[in-house]
Amino acid sequence: MSEIKQHAFLFDAARCIDCRACMVACSVENKIPMDKTRIWVSGIGVKGEYPNLESATMVYHCMHCEDPDCASACPVGAWVKRSDGPVLYDSKLCIGCRYCMNACPFGVPHYDWDKGLIDGAFIDKCSMCPQRIDIGLEPACVATCPTDALVFGERADLLKDAHARIAAHPYRYIDHVYGETENGGTSYLIISHVPFKELGLPELGPTPLKDISELIMGGTIPFALGWAAVLSGVAAGAYALDKKKEAKDKHVETQEELPAKTEATQ
Amino acid sequence: MPNTLSRRDFLKVGGAAVGALVLGRFIPPLVAEAARATGMLDATNSGYIPTMCEMCVWRCGVLAKVEDGRVVKLEGNPDHPHSKGNLCPRGQSGLMNTYDPDRVLSPLVRVGKRGEGLFRKTSWDEALDIVATNMLKIKEKYGPEAMVFSSTHNLSQPLFENLLYAFGSPNYGTQRSLCFNAMITAFSLTYGVEEPSRKYDDVEFILMVGRNMMEAISTSETSELSHAIDRGAKFVYLDPRYTKTASKATEWIPIRPGTDSAFLLAMINVIVSNELADCEFVKKYVVGCDGIKTAMQGYTPEWAEEITGVPATTIERIAREYAAAKHNALAHPGWRTSNFINSFQTERAIATLNALSGNVLTPGGCLSAEMAAEGAGLGAPPQPPYPRVSALRLDGVPWKYPLVSLKLGVFQELRDTILTGEPYQAHGWFISRQNPILSLPDRAKTLEAFGKMDFITTIDIIMNDTAWFSDVVLPETSYLERYDPLLPVGDKAFIRQPVVEPQGEAKSALWIYKQLGERLGLGDFFHYADEEDYLRQQLASLGVSLEEVKSKGYAEMPETESSGEITFNTPSGKIEVYSETLKNAGFSPWPTWEEPPQPAEGQFYLLTGKVAQQTQFGTQNNQMLHKYSDEPRLWMNAKVAAEKGLADGDWVEVTSEVGKANVRLLATQAIRPDCVYLTPGYGHLSKGLTTAFGFGTSDSVLHVTYTDPISGGQALSQTFVSVKKA
Ligand code: SF4
Ligand code: SF4
Repeated sequence: MSEIKQHAFLFDAARCIDCRACMVACSVENKIPMDKTRIWVSGIGVKGEYPNLESATMVYHCMHCEDPDCASACPVGAWVKRSDGPVLYDSKLCIGCRYCMNACPFGVPHYDWDKGLIDGAFIDKCSMCPQRIDIGLEPACVATCPTDALVFGERADLLKDAHARIAAHPYRYIDHVYGETENGGTSYLIISHVPFKELGLPELGPTPLKDISELIMGGTIPFALGWAAVLSGVAAGAYALDKKKEAKDKHVETQEELPAKTEATQ
Repeated sequence: MPNTLSRRDFLKVGGAAVGALVLGRFIPPLVAEAARATGMLDATNSGYIPTMCEMCVWRCGVLAKVEDGRVVKLEGNPDHPHSKGNLCPRGQSGLMNTYDPDRVLSPLVRVGKRGEGLFRKTSWDEALDIVATNMLKIKEKYGPEAMVFSSTHNLSQPLFENLLYAFGSPNYGTQRSLCFNAMITAFSLTYGVEEPSRKYDDVEFILMVGRNMMEAISTSETSELSHAIDRGAKFVYLDPRYTKTASKATEWIPIRPGTDSAFLLAMINVIVSNELADCEFVKKYVVGCDGIKTAMQGYTPEWAEEITGVPATTIERIAREYAAAKHNALAHPGWRTSNFINSFQTERAIATLNALSGNVLTPGGCLSAEMAAEGAGLGAPPQPPYPRVSALRLDGVPWKYPLVSLKLGVFQELRDTILTGEPYQAHGWFISRQNPILSLPDRAKTLEAFGKMDFITTIDIIMNDTAWFSDVVLPETSYLERYDPLLPVGDKAFIRQPVVEPQGEAKSALWIYKQLGERLGLGDFFHYADEEDYLRQQLASLGVSLEEVKSKGYAEMPETESSGEITFNTPSGKIEVYSETLKNAGFSPWPTWEEPPQPAEGQFYLLTGKVAQQTQFGTQNNQMLHKYSDEPRLWMNAKVAAEKGLADGDWVEVTSEVGKANVRLLATQAIRPDCVYLTPGYGHLSKGLTTAFGFGTSDSVLHVTYTDPISGGQALSQTFVSVKKA
């Protein structure tokens, strides 16, 4: 074991206000094209019947697993887990086979069917902003979060912090830190006031999926995930934008008549 | 976890990060040259420059990351009390405001019919001459009062006001009556302070009345509220909608619209009749201590239950919890409080609740009503006194609205006097950084008033709807391309400065007003050579150079002496829960209940209110925000929608007394059955806005104009609509 400290995110669903500053910050920082995104803020929507309602949002991006399935699945070694936390993808090595997409239990890596995504890459996902953390800055999403729903630090400290928050407000939080052990542990830790399953997080054991699947059937993904639906990635992003365009066209069609007059006299 | 990086780290980081960049231009542009001189940019014109956000009026401090003369990222400035290192989504998207492909980059003169969108490009000289000639023609023929001037809350407003007062017109339209007149008038009358500041450090109980803090984001305050809730403070939130703020509240009360003041009056009743207030404080500092019990007698929780629909036991409990938190309780003053004619009374009741808890001025108290000496310590260019103005104001202040301050005005009333020509006819309209076509209620009426104008000119950075209907459009630089006057916040004065070169021919408001002033023969009111000279004159007495302020981002201000004596800026020097001023003007001296109108059978209250990704009517063309905003739909309670045979996503026709709009339905549990809600600021008419044009519908098409006689506030939720399948 090296002495290198492991970076991680801690996300607190009880604090997130769905403002999407993190999404905008990520898109600007990483120069993400207008029809793509690396972060999704989604969740359970509004649950219950008026006036007994509940709501929760969750920031979805790469979990930065300790022992990442994407890396194990990649036949050309385009993925590495850096010892200080981030799971990184190298577009120059990628051959576009999409094994990583199938392997990831969280459905994170996404693919552009038409062309290379960014700088000729086929696959895209959250990188933990190495260009920032390497010079001592927080990732863009964390740095801007107005409620500190997203924080960044050393994994060991954040785990302690997460357990302390749960202990301080036992009625508020589910007594579990998601990512502490899931899939062998992740560098994205989550605490929540609603069950993790409702947020679309898969129930995973402490053993990375690949070890199980290698054992059982050589790589078939055993479940369809709620999260995967949220994260059908580029497709989802592009679909949402299409929908907006459609809505816009419709709005234009139904624009109310402009009031006549406003003839100028000059 | 707090941000641990200081601004110095950012600057250091900036230097390190750009080492790998290739050298950019041969001739360094002026902005970069200046920034390099102060060490903010390196040899490649890259680095971080401190400035100030303008995506809303909270004005967070920003560190703009510049690479090769282009702004590539904005960070919250950890040194600024409004950002503390964070920015909201609008602030993060700010560079798309500068790099909006729809920017107007040269002065434009209309060649087609108004609203047709046909303009020709022209030089600044010609454009300014046309504007000045038209304004002088109107002045000569009809008097200076025939020119209407309007502008919205911004840092160059003092110079805008110079232009209008020097010109000699009393007709000043601001957005204020569409926004916070009720709050400011009530707090000015009660405390002598427009907007008291809030302190969350020790807060234990927070009451917010429709202040949707988690969506109408004020970065630092949203953060403070979030931390207070996290700490375990009780947070009671009144709103007919289940907003993101409601979802974070300890207790959400979906109160009937227009009845907030009944709820609050009953709280006051419980507190005073059970003597739960901070009596020592009240006796010493409050006018009304003796009579309040009697005055509030009728406002029992049982009475309020009938009106608000909130159980009497709930109101009683909340009142007791509020009182128990003593000066660690905070009844938030709110912000946009233009909801009902009685919103002024709601604000008076909030002001009273704070007075009763003794949270004002008490050490550790959560509300601070100290006089903020705004701008004190900053210099200004010398100028002659303004000419005397004897003409009546067309918005009815003060002849129709005696208690509304001149500064606030009653913007929405202007159109009626324009249309009737009484007491006199207005002929010209000068608009800067404002979009009345979308912001005023009843868009048809605004367009009709525009039709009465001989001449309209608009200053903006994009072709907003108002520019689209103007005769001359003057392009302003974006907030990342220009200087504005320094802004004092606490003990510092912060700078907005250009971080990149202006695009095209765009110019700062400081430059435009001066040029225009000179052409109007009012040059004496603009004694500054250029923007930097204006700022230098502001800094003159502080003994700090502009260069230092530019690299640091702010200037330290001299400490203001506190006299030790606690007095309020009211006629009595005390907190006036009982107000002689109100009484003398013929209104109730006590906070009081006024029954608002209710929708007829089958109609709904039309609610409006912000989303976190947009600011009013000006950001919808920002592509980054468009990307991450929800489609603006009409919210309707899902059960009611089902009863009406309407499904989520259906196109519906919404009809009010003044207009009709088509929009898609959002069937949701998150709203009272008697209400519908529409996000404001959509439905642009200008085809010069390629992203925003034709997307969504405008609530101003539907809003009926109602004005509160005391504060002059527009009642934006007093419009009732019917909804059917389109
Ligand atoms: S910036 Fe923070 S509060 Fe806003 S959506 Fe992202 S995680 Fe949630
Ligand atoms: S709250 Fe948002 S838009 Fe307003 S000044 Fe701050 S960052 Fe800018």
